[in-house]
Amino acid sequence: MTATTDLPLRRPSVLRARGVGTTLVLALLALALLGGLIVPGDPYAQSLTKALAGPEATAPLGYDHLGRSVFHRLIHALRLSPLIALAAVAMAGATGLILGTLAAARGGWVERALVILTDALLALPGLLLVLIVLAMVPGTALGFWVGLTLVLWIEFFRLARAATRETLASPAVQASQLLGFGPVYIFRTHIWPEIAPMMLTAAAFGTATAIMSIAALGFVHTGMRAPTPELGLMMVELLPYWREAPLALLSPVIATFALLLGLTLLAGSRET
Amino acid sequence: MNVLVSRLVQAVMVAVLIGTATFVMMRSLPGDAAWRIAAGRYGYDRVDAASADAVRAELGLDGPTLPALVQWLGDLARFDFGTSLVTGQPVIKEIVHQLGATVSLALAALLLSLLIGPPLGILAGLRPGGALDRALLVASTGLKAAPQFLIALVLIVLVAVQLRWLPAAGHGEPRHFILPALTLALGLSAVNARIARDAMARIADMPYWRFAQWKGLSERQTLLRHGLRGVSVPLVTYLGLQFVTLVEGVIIVESIFGWPGIGHALVHAIFSRDVPMVQGTALMLGLGFVLINAAIDLAVNRLDPRTAS
Amino acid sequence: MSLLKASNITVSQDGTPILEPVSLRLEAGEPLVILGETGSGKSLLAQAIMGTLPRDLAARGQVALGDHLLDAARPVGFRALWGRQIAVLPQEPWLSLDPLMRVQSQVTEAHRLVNGKPVAEARTQASADLDRLGLTGAGHRYPHELSGGMAQRVAIAAARAGGARIVIADEPTKGLDAARRDDVADLLLAELARGGGLLVITHDLALARRIGGQMIVLRKGQVVEEGPTAAVMAAPSQAYTRELIAADPENWKPRTKQAAGSAVLTATGLAAGRGGTRLFSDVSFDLSEGEILGVTGPSGCGKSTLGGVVLGLIDAADGVVNRADGLKATAFQKLYQDPVAAFPRHRTLARTLDDVARRHGQALGRIEELLPRLGLSPALLSRRPDAVSGGELQRLALLRLLLVRPSLIFADEPTSRLDPITQKQVIDLLCETARSEGCAIMLVSHDPALVSRTADKMLSLGTTAAKVDVTAPRVVGALR
Repeated sequence: MTATTDLPLRRPSVLRARGVGTTLVLALLALALLGGLIVPGDPYAQSLTKALAGPEATAPLGYDHLGRSVFHRLIHALRLSPLIALAAVAMAGATGLILGTLAAARGGWVERALVILTDALLALPGLLLVLIVLAMVPGTALGFWVGLTLVLWIEFFRLARAATRETLASPAVQASQLLGFGPVYIFRTHIWPEIAPMMLTAAAFGTATAIMSIAALGFVHTGMRAPTPELGLMMVELLPYWREAPLALLSPVIATFALLLGLTLLAGSRET
Repeated sequence: MNVLVSRLVQAVMVAVLIGTATFVMMRSLPGDAAWRIAAGRYGYDRVDAASADAVRAELGLDGPTLPALVQWLGDLARFDFGTSLVTGQPVIKEIVHQLGATVSLALAALLLSLLIGPPLGILAGLRPGGALDRALLVASTGLKAAPQFLIALVLIVLVAVQLRWLPAAGHGEPRHFILPALTLALGLSAVNARIARDAMARIADMPYWRFAQWKGLSERQTLLRHGLRGVSVPLVTYLGLQFVTLVEGVIIVESIFGWPGIGHALVHAIFSRDVPMVQGTALMLGLGFVLINAAIDLAVNRLDPRTAS
Repeated sequence: MSLLKASNITVSQDGTPILEPVSLRLEAGEPLVILGETGSGKSLLAQAIMGTLPRDLAARGQVALGDHLLDAARPVGFRALWGRQIAVLPQEPWLSLDPLMRVQSQVTEAHRLVNGKPVAEARTQASADLDRLGLTGAGHRYPHELSGGMAQRVAIAAARAGGARIVIADEPTKGLDAARRDDVADLLLAELARGGGLLVITHDLALARRIGGQMIVLRKGQVVEEGPTAAVMAAPSQAYTRELIAADPENWKPRTKQAAGSAVLTATGLAAGRGGTRLFSDVSFDLSEGEILGVTGPSGCGKSTLGGVVLGLIDAADGVVNRADGLKATAFQKLYQDPVAAFPRHRTLARTLDDVARRHGQALGRIEELLPRLGLSPALLSRRPDAVSGGELQRLALLRLLLVRPSLIFADEPTSRLDPITQKQVIDLLCETARSEGCAIMLVSHDPALVSRTADKMLSLGTTAAKVDVTAPRVVGALR
């Protein structure tokens, strides 16, 4: 009974989800980069008379408890954590990719040592590592970059190593070797095409994880310090004023959720 | 057996990593670490230069790094975690106290998530592409994208502030469990619903599923006898990975809801640079992960005879 | 009265017919064989009769089963008959048993839940069933602890436990060695002898011959020929049936022996193992240009490992492989069982072939020159490996090897996934390659008939002892 019942529903829906994800991320990126040009303003400027006031032309999302423009704080926050996240993902991706392919190709003690190390790191919750690094490194942004890189490279390493191992063991690679092709050709034609889409997915997930961690630690007062505009920090600052200024609290909540949702959809369906 | 050995290696590595990290943390602390440790041990009123010097000599804080590190890890190997720099209590005693609160919260969350996620996932997986499947996909994607603190925030605003049904923080009564446990459970069930759904859909597409029906079993009999056990294997396997999510969630959720557990203590310890407490709590979480995963390895071996051989 | 009568069964997808009207009768005690290649619609016919078609396919026609009259367009109505009237023996039974349940329970549950017997009686009955099929004591095992043949017998017991009289077997020899084929036929005939009917769907001519009874030959959704199996196979009246039967290795004309050229390789006293167990030892042979060495043996006997040793991919535990002097490093090549897995899957075939031609300093014109010789259309080159049929891709794999101008090709079951007619084309091309290119070939196959009619000499590896004989082909029977 070999008639294949390929679910016709699957593919287009994945593509559509990716489209929605890309749109969300691009929209928020545009807001973060261009918002300040359209409505100029200062995220740090306080005017206590306007505390918790509603929206107006120069502050489209109203004011927070210190009378700062929520809109301008939000667009600054939307630049800060994605920037740290992308820097960490870039560093982690490069490290993981190089070490992962190397481990799989070399084998031996190099591979064993790296696997033991990553297994141990895997046992430590990511937030814990970030917290410890934050306590040691001067400068919160730098601390996040180092800590998140340390957390995120493991996933890239594991993916790259698994895919490289599987590919190297495949008949296709064996055939290429018998036909006289060297390691560069094999990496280019066999390994990279397998790894590249995975890396992209992992990068989107990694960026989401990083943004999430920065916001979560900000929310429990252990991340970015006030008065820096940061998503989690903004939420916890505005939470007590929910009844007076719901829009001020909802703005960072919705922006954060939209950004994370966009990245998750962009990453596409993958086993969690 | 092999599995247990590799888990043991993992546990030792975890301890070494945490030990080294906290050692570096200790060395990079601003101010006189020896003074602070001595103060932690003997109390701030009774600490003097002599006792600080004694601590400095004992821990080799001034000496070369390597012997000091060996000394530090040696203490760890003898399960000597030292005393809290803040309360002056032995770290072990503090942790045992907090562990109970954390474990009860985590178990409540896990149980709740297993009640929500897998049943929905199995129903969706039996009709891939159906209405329930699509609704569940949307819901779980949304929940997976939402970090725990965001879920907590929404629950607090809605249930505690707007509706005033439940307290936003506190500990001791059963109703205090509901919001933090639900926060953790929603995130977990988003994941295990997907796992159950994918496993069910895969099994329902297997030749042995069809063959069970060709033998004459009804839909229900097929599900009970040939579906549930198969779904449970990936669910249990993923529990190990979910444990990391759970621990991360515990760190955040305990801080938000003021839950007196290990996560809360860890955040506090890091905040106040209480290095022995950081080491103790981090070690507890890391080793807990290894222990749970070792148990899960064994459980999967029992559930799936193919992995045992 | 017939056990089962199906009238004017058709199957269509989105309104396009993919199976033209077929009618058949199944009589008690007389088997019915439906013979056809992949894509002939034989499985669709069986699925329409059982009510198990995938949802996007629509069937029409009528099925009469005892007193029941069923409409093929309403598959729901068939459900009540599964296990009780019709026992379906699935393809690849080792995948059809629940991997997490002991096999006896899988038989017991059918006695209990389908037949309604009490637990204790169901258990006794199940163990009696297993005893009868020669599986005494195997009931407590899990499916992955069974051999393919044992899994098949468990599946028969489980399928019939509900009391069904009609057995429908879909490709029962798929994935089994040639040696197992006759066991399967005997097993099915034994079930038939217990009363009831037997419907066998297969592409395997040897199985069809052994089952006998009546036969329907299908091709591209149409009935080509029907009649008593023995008569059809002895004197096919249609061109397609003739071609199909001629493609059976049993009916091939033995290849005429070629004059051997200079030596390519000498292997002396080879031994190798896998995972600590010795697979073979003391294997010696030599090969010359244009010579074909057939390698046979049951699955798991080390045929592929021997290839690895010869190609220099695996270190031999003992013995030496001597390449003739002056051969280049890439002189020994391999043809894979699954050609899709042997090509870079993200590139077009043209790019892959161009890379190989360039690497070996061949003019690109050589590809165009080889294409017609292998019966391939240049249009195929713009596709990716998974968009080409198995037979075409295997010929493209051969083309890729010819760009290297190899001295030896290790062909590892190159046709085991192909239909008989395509198989014959590929093997003929391999023989032609040996002759025209002066290339030595090691041809691995589990089918002794194929090897004995193709090879100049033969190497037979056994599972138990490392029995090796290098002789001229002998009669097939003597090889077992």
